[in-house]
Amino acid sequence: MKYQSIIIRWSKIATLLFIAMVLVGDIFGFIITQYICYIWAAKFDAVSLAGLSVVYYLGTVGTYVILFSLLKLLSNMGKDIVFERTNIKLMNIIAYTFVAVALDCLVGGFIWSGSFILAVLALFLALVVQSVRVVFDKAITMKEELDLTI
Amino acid sequence: MIIVNIDVMMAKRKISSGELAQKIGITPANLSILKNQKAKAVRFSTLNDICKALDCQPGDILEYKED
Repeated sequence: MKYQSIIIRWSKIATLLFIAMVLVGDIFGFIITQYICYIWAAKFDAVSLAGLSVVYYLGTVGTYVILFSLLKLLSNMGKDIVFERTNIKLMNIIAYTFVAVALDCLVGGFIWSGSFILAVLALFLALVVQSVRVVFDKAITMKEELDLTI
Repeated sequence: MIIVNIDVMMAKRKISSGELAQKIGITPANLSILKNQKAKAVRFSTLNDICKALDCQPGDILEYKED
């Protein structure tokens, strides 16, 4: 039990660090998008930069949603709220946001091809989260049945 | 669907919910789940204890009705 709480605590710290990283990424977003557009994508027109900026900031919004949902999920686990429908909702939010981020990256791929790899990665993560969600859903149904067995 | 007629038997035997719950060793909340048709399953051991406490057969408590 102590071992589990240590993992949860460190996972929460890691999530907070990722949120801080995304925040920094947001603050210096205008530099990062220029770097990607001019150096990596080798595109020097204003339309590409504007498009990439929109894709980049939409991506960070999605990342915030994922990270805050993950933080809430870990917080629930820390409070021993494990097999509850709220966790299923949070996992659903995470999975669908990953799909949204993947679509966002797919659009970005037309400006910078490296974004296609990010789209595939986001889809893969959505698949993983969705699979875990299905397992949790089954476990909750079984728990509910067990709770109503007299 | 299966209907639990435990309250009918309780009325026949003139036994209260609290008393029956104590006799069969389950919580009044669980007995309420059973009475209100919310239970998903009943253990044989619980059924055995109910039949023993109410001096009846499983068929007196459980009834099948078309959905």
